[in-house]
Amino acid sequence: MWRQKNSDRRQDRKQTRRKQTRRKHARGWQAEGGQARGKRIRDKWDNCRYVFRRLGQEEGPGAFALCGGDLVFGVLLPLLEAALAGAVAACLVSGRAPGEILLLVAGYVILLQTARYLQGHLRAMRDKTLFLFRIDIMYEFNRKTLEMDGQSLETAKGREMWEAAKRNVYNGNHFGIEAYAKSFWNLLLNLCGLVVYGAIVGRESIFLLLLLVSQTLLVTWFHGVAEKRALRAEDEIDRKWSGFQYLRRESIVPQNGKDIRMYGMDKWFLKTFYQMIERSVSLLDWQEKGYTAAGIANHLLSFARNVAVYGWLLGRMAAGRLALPAFLLYLGIIAGFENWVRGFLEAVINLEKNEKIIKNYRDFMSYGIVEEGKPGPKRAGKLHEIRLEHVCFRYEGNMECPEEGHSGEDTIHDLNLTIRAGEKLALVGLNGAGKTTLIKLLCGLYRPTSGKVCLDGQELQDLSQREVFREFAVVFQDVFTFAFPVAENVTCVKAGEEDGPRLRKSLEDAGLLERVQSLPKKEQTSMDKDMDPEGVTFSGGELQKLMLARALYKDAPVVILDEPTAALDPIAESEMYEKYDEMIQGKTAVFISHRLSSTRFCDRILFLEEGRIVQEGSHESLMREGGPYAELFALQARYYQKNPESVDRVPERMASV
Amino acid sequence: MNTFRSIHKTGFRLLKMIHAEDSIVIPMYLLNLVLSLGQIYIGLFLTAGLVDALLAGQYRQAAGAALMLLLANLFFGLASRLIQRRLQCLQRKIWLVFYVWLRRKAFSMDYETMERPEVAEKLLFSERTSDMQGGLGTLLYHYYEILKAIVNLLLSVSLVAHLCLRKPGAGFGVLGALASPVPSALLLAGMMAGTVFGAYRAFRRFAEERRALFESHTGVEDRVMYLTQQVLGNFKAGKMIRIYGMQDMILENLSVFLKKSWGHFSDACDVERKQGNANRLVDSVFIVGAYLLAALKVVTGAVTVGAFTQYVGALHQFGGACFTLIAVHGDLQKICTYMEEFLAFLDTENLHVKGSIPVEKRTDGEYEIAFEHVSFRYPGTEKLVLKDVDCRIRVRGKLAVVGRNGAGKTTFIKLLCRLYEPASGRITLNGVDIRKYDEEEYRSLFGVVFQDFKLFAFPVWENVTAGRARNETRIWEVLEQAEAGSMVRGMPGGLDAYLYKDMGDGVEISGGEAQKLALARALYRDAPVVILDEPTAALDPKAEAEVYARFDEMVKGRTSVYISHRMASCRFCDDIIVFEDGKIVERGSHEALSAAGGSYAKMWSAQAKYYDAATDSPPEAPACARS
Repeated sequence: MWRQKNSDRRQDRKQTRRKQTRRKHARGWQAEGGQARGKRIRDKWDNCRYVFRRLGQEEGPGAFALCGGDLVFGVLLPLLEAALAGAVAACLVSGRAPGEILLLVAGYVILLQTARYLQGHLRAMRDKTLFLFRIDIMYEFNRKTLEMDGQSLETAKGREMWEAAKRNVYNGNHFGIEAYAKSFWNLLLNLCGLVVYGAIVGRESIFLLLLLVSQTLLVTWFHGVAEKRALRAEDEIDRKWSGFQYLRRESIVPQNGKDIRMYGMDKWFLKTFYQMIERSVSLLDWQEKGYTAAGIANHLLSFARNVAVYGWLLGRMAAGRLALPAFLLYLGIIAGFENWVRGFLEAVINLEKNEKIIKNYRDFMSYGIVEEGKPGPKRAGKLHEIRLEHVCFRYEGNMECPEEGHSGEDTIHDLNLTIRAGEKLALVGLNGAGKTTLIKLLCGLYRPTSGKVCLDGQELQDLSQREVFREFAVVFQDVFTFAFPVAENVTCVKAGEEDGPRLRKSLEDAGLLERVQSLPKKEQTSMDKDMDPEGVTFSGGELQKLMLARALYKDAPVVILDEPTAALDPIAESEMYEKYDEMIQGKTAVFISHRLSSTRFCDRILFLEEGRIVQEGSHESLMREGGPYAELFALQARYYQKNPESVDRVPERMASV
Repeated sequence: MNTFRSIHKTGFRLLKMIHAEDSIVIPMYLLNLVLSLGQIYIGLFLTAGLVDALLAGQYRQAAGAALMLLLANLFFGLASRLIQRRLQCLQRKIWLVFYVWLRRKAFSMDYETMERPEVAEKLLFSERTSDMQGGLGTLLYHYYEILKAIVNLLLSVSLVAHLCLRKPGAGFGVLGALASPVPSALLLAGMMAGTVFGAYRAFRRFAEERRALFESHTGVEDRVMYLTQQVLGNFKAGKMIRIYGMQDMILENLSVFLKKSWGHFSDACDVERKQGNANRLVDSVFIVGAYLLAALKVVTGAVTVGAFTQYVGALHQFGGACFTLIAVHGDLQKICTYMEEFLAFLDTENLHVKGSIPVEKRTDGEYEIAFEHVSFRYPGTEKLVLKDVDCRIRVRGKLAVVGRNGAGKTTFIKLLCRLYEPASGRITLNGVDIRKYDEEEYRSLFGVVFQDFKLFAFPVWENVTAGRARNETRIWEVLEQAEAGSMVRGMPGGLDAYLYKDMGDGVEISGGEAQKLALARALYRDAPVVILDEPTAALDPKAEAEVYARFDEMVKGRTSVYISHRMASCRFCDDIIVFEDGKIVERGSHEALSAAGGSYAKMWSAQAKYYDAATDSPPEAPACARS
């Protein structure tokens, strides 16, 4: 519970910090200050309208009625409670008949309790509606994630935006759209409370009202100072926290257990854990020091204020101008005033904090939108020719790819290439040569930084992404399956929409049918245990075959295979190559492999180096040319030659590299 | 639900553990309790005095009482603020320490025990419930709340009992009779009993509903989290989802669970609301009764109006404490029930003994390892993964282990490392069963790179030394041997550069680069036995050839075991073991096995066939020219 509070508060502080930097900026451009403020207010208003428009759409007008009802009772109840002591005391000293007094007291208490019951009921109903509102919103977020432009999502910026937007719906009741809507109503509620209480106090004495308001402002200021101080530790706390989470996760991943035990890393980890805790606690203590100081100041101020208020009220009573019930009422009102102020500030902070999340969410929802209405490829389903003209591609700072080069330099540089319809092309090269990036470019997953990629003469950018993707079956280097049934993993369509015979044929051709048939629920068996505890775990080789089955089921005119056999034993590898060979008959195909030998079934081989094609031709012609391809081939082949002496020689030569 | 006794047995054991970790926590809570109740009751007394003085028109006395009241508030306010600071820190510590306890135990378990599904499940369950429902800190807080509620009940009852004893004045008829000590005590006792009963009934009724709801919902949130994090949040999978048009399929799966989730939370909110309404109803009846009783005492002249406020305040405390006690005890019950799993995890016994004989320290590396008729099956499975494996690993020899996927190669290594123990047969080191050696010392004989090795988001040097003392010369030496020297030099900060982004801004490395660092880590140990399981899978041909080329130097003077699907690696090993279906089917040199025409020859030719042409017309210069 307190943990939630802590993290809540941390968010608040972050928010304040952002506000402050924004303020600083605003001050920097004095001339534009007014305009910027105007825009901020317009944005706030816009975000507010957005939330409540969505609330109306998802939950209907009833939601507003509930919130309004809660508002009325929310103000009424504390007022009745504050007046209770006074009212009962008034009854008791009224000198009426005992029976009558008892009836009056009972009546008043019953009235109060009824209000309390209704208030509790309405509040629960309101909170439920707002909670379900958030769950209703989840769907659109998920859909957006799946349907937006892939490259935009893959960049560091896209991932950050996604994470930020996710907080809107997936971060519990205290964050995002639910918390925003709640804070908004709480803001109104506390505002109404303040106005009503202020009016009551002010009617009695403006002096008293001023005293209350000024004390409140001072307290707020003290707290603000403490917040500001605490903020300075916030970045480190965040870093330490995610570090702790990381170590927590990694230290119990089963596969890591082997390394941890073999290298005796337990002491290292435990020491690090305790260091982290110690640091975390001392940071918290440092922050708490500020809050404690503010708290002490607050108590002293309250004391001073109360002395003044009591003194004043007692003076009025002594002068006979105030009766006991009114005295008690004012005590209640003054205590209550503090609550409204606290509630108001809390609501403002929460609203600010969650508004930021709403803003992030809306930014994400309008980011990476796939343009609708583009035409599909004109020769859909037929053999395609793919042409790359002066294509450059660079992973900019926001998109990192340790495998294929870092930001600031071209991963693919001014590349021209035509893959003829029906051609079988192999891409080879060292790690980081840009092979994987190149295939992502030619199937339209990435857009070139400059230059263009054409499918049968039509530029990919002008075509509908979804329809272009239909023309490609890609077996990626990394194996991805989801914890859904085998059938869904292969066919990639909703349950019930699959083509049964075709599914079985693909499984059979991939050499996986027997295994799938032996499973408890055949092709409806779930993979892994995340979604279904009865799910089955497949071995690396089987997963490789499943990827093949997926490509076979898709039966697209262009097939791309990216280094698909790294984890297989020699026999399985050789079988896999045969299957690939069969699969790409009658299709346009691109093949990447470290094992140069496997590229022999291709018509043409491209040797890539630092994003450029440095050699191309058939295996035979490249071997005759004796360039980098032949050298690399020799390097691998050397160990497989029949003459063992040559093996011993290689190390010496290599050692001199 | 568990019995009252067993719950508090769990609870108190945990409290003791907390106390052992930090002996100041519990006293701090007790002090906090005294302060917070002190503030309430002293406030009630002083307010009563104030009201009476005001009614009597004694304003000077009233001013004194008011000042006392304000001073008391100031004192308690300041004191609890100061304690608060301390408590915040202690709470954070206790909350985090829980996760470390779990890990300390996990680390101390042997691998096989830790891998057992029921043990791993206990660990994950403890983690998850602590995350979702509050852990040790919540338990402590609940005990605090319970104790506070009990003391509060006692105080309020004794105060109110005092109210009952006050005799009414004469001449109030029926009301006077009702207000006299015995009837009013009976009335009060009846009200209190009714409240306790009502509160308990309301709690039990909805506890049942809540439990049923919770049970019907098991796993739904985990699945939603899986779909969000592992499917949608898996950005690498995005390309696959798009190319294969899996969007509709995934959304369909997701919406099934979102609907379930929606239904669940809707029901859960309803239960909570009904619980709240029922509680409020019971409490309201009690409060109305309490006011009536206190008012009765006032109108019959038994007590003053000032005392009225005091008694009503005490009665309010009674009602509140009642509900707190019941609700918090219910929550505590829940926490203790799952904490039992945590304690069971801590009490898990290791399957195997750790051994105690020290390993003989030899500088000559003369450690001879032998498998004697070793069979093995993974826990919970029937199939023998290793069948009667009998072999001797030659001292300072270079052993290659080959075989098809699933033939038992990696299992062989795991047994050798003592991560598992044989089901039958034994493994010996210099003739002594390895189980008899001290586990840590035995393992220090090995430098291993597993197929699924792991580096952590710490500085490079810590990864290489595995957290041990920093010896720069040695670190650079092994980095060079593993071909990782220039890579590390290129990192900002060199040896001090963090890996990955998890611990702040670190260096992202490719799979090949990670493999080189893992190799360096294995070499840093300077262990007499080096084991490499597929150490070049992520390297390109050139990098692979470089590792091969350095292999001799790396393992000089040591025993080495090399597992690879790249058959080429067998060429520089002097001894090859071929596994098939858990058995050693062939053993010998490359030449001998090639000539034998068995499994090995088949595997060899499956790969070598692609390179035949090269043998026919070998190119004149290898890759040395290009670098």
